[in-house]
Amino acid sequence: MFSFRNPISRAFATLALLLAVFAVLFPFVWVFMESIKPASLGGRPDLWVFSPTWENWNEVTLNSDVPFNILNSFAIALVTVLISLLCGAPAAYAFSRFRGFESARYSILAAEMMPPAILILPFFLVLYHLKLIDSQIGVIAAHLTFVLPVVTWFLIGFFDEVPRDLENQAMIDGYTRFQAFYKVILPAVRPGLGAAGVFGFVLSWNDLFYALLLTGNESRTLPVAIAGYWTFRGVELGKMAVAILIAVIPVLALSHSIQKHLIRGIGGGAVKY
Amino acid sequence: MSYVRLEKLRKSFGSLDILHGIDLEIARSEFLVLLGPSGCGKSTSLRMLAGLETVSSGRIFIDGRDVTGLEPRERDIAMVFQNYALYPTMTVGQNIGFGLKAKKMPADQIKKKVDEAAKLLNLSHLLDRKPGALSGGQQQRVAIGRAIVRQPKVFLFDEPLSNLDAKLRVEMRAEILRLHNELQATTIYVTHDQEEAMTMADRIVVMKDGLIEQVGTPEDIYFRPATRMVAGFIGSPAMNFIAGTGAGPCRIDSALGALKVDAAVREGQAVEIGIRPDNVTLAQSGYDGDNPVVPMTVKLVELLGPRAIVSLEHASGQAITAVVPYADISSFRTGSQVDIMLAVEAMHVFPVS
Repeated sequence: MFSFRNPISRAFATLALLLAVFAVLFPFVWVFMESIKPASLGGRPDLWVFSPTWENWNEVTLNSDVPFNILNSFAIALVTVLISLLCGAPAAYAFSRFRGFESARYSILAAEMMPPAILILPFFLVLYHLKLIDSQIGVIAAHLTFVLPVVTWFLIGFFDEVPRDLENQAMIDGYTRFQAFYKVILPAVRPGLGAAGVFGFVLSWNDLFYALLLTGNESRTLPVAIAGYWTFRGVELGKMAVAILIAVIPVLALSHSIQKHLIRGIGGGAVKY
Repeated sequence: MSYVRLEKLRKSFGSLDILHGIDLEIARSEFLVLLGPSGCGKSTSLRMLAGLETVSSGRIFIDGRDVTGLEPRERDIAMVFQNYALYPTMTVGQNIGFGLKAKKMPADQIKKKVDEAAKLLNLSHLLDRKPGALSGGQQQRVAIGRAIVRQPKVFLFDEPLSNLDAKLRVEMRAEILRLHNELQATTIYVTHDQEEAMTMADRIVVMKDGLIEQVGTPEDIYFRPATRMVAGFIGSPAMNFIAGTGAGPCRIDSALGALKVDAAVREGQAVEIGIRPDNVTLAQSGYDGDNPVVPMTVKLVELLGPRAIVSLEHASGQAITAVVPYADISSFRTGSQVDIMLAVEAMHVFPVS
């Protein structure tokens, strides 16, 4: 990537890169160190010399609700993403194709900019009356308020790149517009659907705000569980570190898998190629 | 008996009128070319015929059936787009067979038809490739294969060759003509390339600003242009135009002096005389008493091989382009004086509105 001829500039560039890599990776290393620190030393992040132990990992993965919370997080994120793709793809197609929708596409961002605090009270009241507090459905509904707009926005850019003549051709070939949409256009934006799905999944997986206020024992998600290690006895740093790592690793892996499409998607319909 | 008929076809986008009422009849098996500069409404007309644009007013008939309000899929047409519009996720074979699948044809029959079309277009060895792995010319042939395999009533081509390089364009032109002769399919072909139009068409429709300027055979269009626009648009290098005023029947006063023409002109009428560069000759190469001889200055000689394009200027400032045998002009340099002769019988007179 860098082609410095001068060995001194090359050395500086390498040094700068190493510093950047260190700055990015250090927190992970530190959290990992915390996770293998004996509980008796917990709360002492300044200690660097200790005999490592897996007791925190055993405690969290075998003797706590965390696996159940992971399952909740996973189920909620998955259903949120599926609904978002199901509704977001046709919506994004309409925003991309039909006259009059062109300027309206930015209204999607407005939904995204609304502070969640505005929605939480009505949400809480509605879910309370529907007896859906502490249910996965309630959290999914809440997550849709920010995942669906993001997924829609994300996909508009991908649909914009598919030439209109492609669906025109399909309609001439004997298909209805809807058939053209799902037989020709959707397969053509498959990378976009995958990337949008992963992005939406991560957003839902990471959410603390709605999950904290709308879940209880039955539907608690992983971020809420992590926050739960801040107890009246202080922060249980070792166990929290384990849970943090479990929460972060899939996010890192997923983000890496879609990084190629990420910029394109975030640009949405705003960037013309 | 017309096979495709456009009746007072109009199109407007908001307050912007694109087509001002087109009437056109196309015979069965005819190869009709819509020709015109960009923005003249030729592509819009084609897309309305395909059902991809709504009709603001007027009607469209295909094989006697009013299709004005029908969906594209109900019109039994096939279209080849400028960018080929191949389905990127399907193989060549699937691309060609996609239209047959819509007709719910059994798979073995689809395969048979696809194989036939592929053989006709020399695509048999590419059937399992994806469009992305094909060259421009191959993609074009797949697009054509997809059109012919359905045996539609009408073929529509929207500038299908403009993305190809010059050599391939000439090859594909011959290929499309060969297919047309073989299949005898009614074809409507849009292009802005006059060479394509002249070489391929049974009849050419020249359009400008949403109106038809002239409909006729390539010979009609070239030798008997109906309007100043058609005369100027067709032919390369473009026709020379000399402004003048009528000075009695068959006489026009112009920048090049008084010219005798083969057309009735009213006295005082503002006209333009058009003459093709081929009909301007150097007076030395043989004098003809009937044709006017005009002294000119050579401005530029462009060699095209055996012939040369000569840009000339009259003392009045009137510019004239001539195409002459290179041997005739080789001794003249930029700035030389030369007498030219204008062929009276080849002059066209257009009233200035």
